[in-house]
Amino acid sequence: MKKVLVLLSLVLLMGCVKDEILSPIDNTIEVPESLVIGDLQGIKVESTIVTDEVKMNIKLPYTGTYRVKIRDIGKELISQEKLQANEGDNILKVYVSSLSNDGYTLELTDDNHDIIGITSIVVNN
Amino acid sequence: MKKILTLLVSVFCTLSVFGQSKMDYTRVNTVTQVGDTLVVKYQYFKGTDADGNDMPDAKLYQFDIQYNNKLLNPVLYEWQPVAGSEQKAINSWTGYKFTIDDTKEQTDFDGQYLSWLSGDASYGSNSDWSVDRVTWQNTTSLENGNEILKVSYKIKDKANSNYTDYTNLINVNWANYKEEDGTQIDVTGQSTLSLSNIQGGDAGDVSISVSSNVITNNIGDGSDFSYTIFAKGDNETPLASGNFDAAGDATIQGLENDVEYDLYVSIDSSKEYLDNAVTVSDLALVFTEAIGAGSSPNGISTTFDYYLQSILANVVGETIPNGGDINFDDSYEILAYLQGVTSTNTTFISKKDEVYNISGIKSTFGDEGNGIATVSATFKPTDSDKSFQFAHAISGDVNFSHGFEPTSTNADIPTSAQSSMASSMRVSMAIGEKYNGEQANLDLTSELKDGQVIFTIGSEVEEMIGAQFNIVYDRTRLVLDDVIFDTGNTMTNFSNHLEEDGKINIGSFDQNFEATVKTGTPYKLIFTPTVQLQNTSGLITFRVNEGVKADGTQIKFIME
Repeated sequence: MKKVLVLLSLVLLMGCVKDEILSPIDNTIEVPESLVIGDLQGIKVESTIVTDEVKMNIKLPYTGTYRVKIRDIGKELISQEKLQANEGDNILKVYVSSLSNDGYTLELTDDNHDIIGITSIVVNN
Repeated sequence: MKKILTLLVSVFCTLSVFGQSKMDYTRVNTVTQVGDTLVVKYQYFKGTDADGNDMPDAKLYQFDIQYNNKLLNPVLYEWQPVAGSEQKAINSWTGYKFTIDDTKEQTDFDGQYLSWLSGDASYGSNSDWSVDRVTWQNTTSLENGNEILKVSYKIKDKANSNYTDYTNLINVNWANYKEEDGTQIDVTGQSTLSLSNIQGGDAGDVSISVSSNVITNNIGDGSDFSYTIFAKGDNETPLASGNFDAAGDATIQGLENDVEYDLYVSIDSSKEYLDNAVTVSDLALVFTEAIGAGSSPNGISTTFDYYLQSILANVVGETIPNGGDINFDDSYEILAYLQGVTSTNTTFISKKDEVYNISGIKSTFGDEGNGIATVSATFKPTDSDKSFQFAHAISGDVNFSHGFEPTSTNADIPTSAQSSMASSMRVSMAIGEKYNGEQANLDLTSELKDGQVIFTIGSEVEEMIGAQFNIVYDRTRLVLDDVIFDTGNTMTNFSNHLEEDGKINIGSFDQNFEATVKTGTPYKLIFTPTVQLQNTSGLITFRVNEGVKADGTQIKFIME
């Protein structure tokens, strides 16, 4: 009886492991049409005129540390996020409640400040 | 022979000129201003013949006067009583100007009369000129020097005309003096009546401009500034007011030439950037002055570079116009302001909704007078000067970050009057360019870590005895949990959290001017999100990021 129980336990365990290995891994995310980036990398926002927040897609060549910078009309940096992101599309948000109504540029760089993509937004809170 | 003939002709002409009767017209009174009344008398002088005998008497005296109706308005014609039985008339036409017979002198009045009769001289249409024909006749003749007529003319403003001066106002075109038997009498006189130095009148478009680093450094623009104009010496009844345009220019109408006015420039106190005007850099300058200058900020041992700074730094105590001693009361008030400590004193620290404006003529802005800085609000439009430049600064902003740094040599404190604690670097720099500051790189980032938003300020900048960061965060999504300072053991750190505005100003300052802000990550802010976040872009923004060195030099942080 003891042997039968051990055997059953093993079968159960193996079954669990087997299931996990065989589960499909889905790394793709659904990218709204308005955020599709045709190039291999870049940055795109859902709407240029922004109130409160807007979705953005940062498409990256590899997984790693990146920066999203917001610059004012004089190209002065006024906000900067540092984030870990995956290769491919990353759907994120830009929050503009604390920005005054003005025009800004969004800049995507790698951690060494090399520019990957630039776009612009107009804040209309 | 030719010379003899020439000489004879000259002598003849001279005798002839000296012998002619005169139609004299001269002003009776002195006029200086637009609106004054000019009185002109038209007077008869009898001529003499070659032997010095009187010319024959006339019984008819007739002459045409033309006056510039854009510059003069006749308001009164007064016949001058002579015999009482004379006949007299004045006929007037507007819109005509006399074209002389240029084969004769203009002042050959009887000759021009004959030419007018023959058609060699004539009247043509000209809306700027009017003609009065004066006729006086009697059975008795006028005596030498008798006045015939006095005319009063109101002087008009040339600003409404195409004329730039009053050099040609009245001409006598011709004169017709006749003896009883109809013989024409020679008449001459002066060619014109002119006036000079007439002041006043509509100044037309007067241009003004304002200079400030708010405009120069794109902190705001010229439309953030307004002006108010008073009569000189008055500050209660504004004569005009308005806004400058984005470039800092404005055009004013309704002022008068040669009148002095006082103009004051104000900045829109609702502007958010005014909260960034007084910073740790100003604090360092005021502290240095308090330490190094003792009780003589403008005298023998100041650390300031401009006289005006002793007014800008005088944020508590004596009233601003007196300059006052800069002491630790002033520096502690600024420190308290940066720390968000409410002072019980009345202070002159400019910030949003509370601004202390200082303005004046740019070229003399901050000039020394009796040991303290002066500003002049006074300007006077004239014919030759209708453009005026003003400068603006605000109290508490000692390093002119939001004001105009003086450019006049008289505004600059001589090196001999500066203490040894004054910045040798600034002493060597040109006037007007001493407060441009230095630049250094810095890394300010926000990150989402373990469900918290971490804002870090990374610095590798050395020699900073102070630093300040004015940070704005999205208070609809974040709550500030903690501020972590790692600036060094002896630094005085401050944080001024304005929760309702979503603002926090943090910084450090060593009052001994010895310790420096540690490199690495001297400042860290920790926020807890109130909504689910995937990332932090735009949640935290920063506008004022500056450091200061021991000599008060501002370090402007550049972020890649």
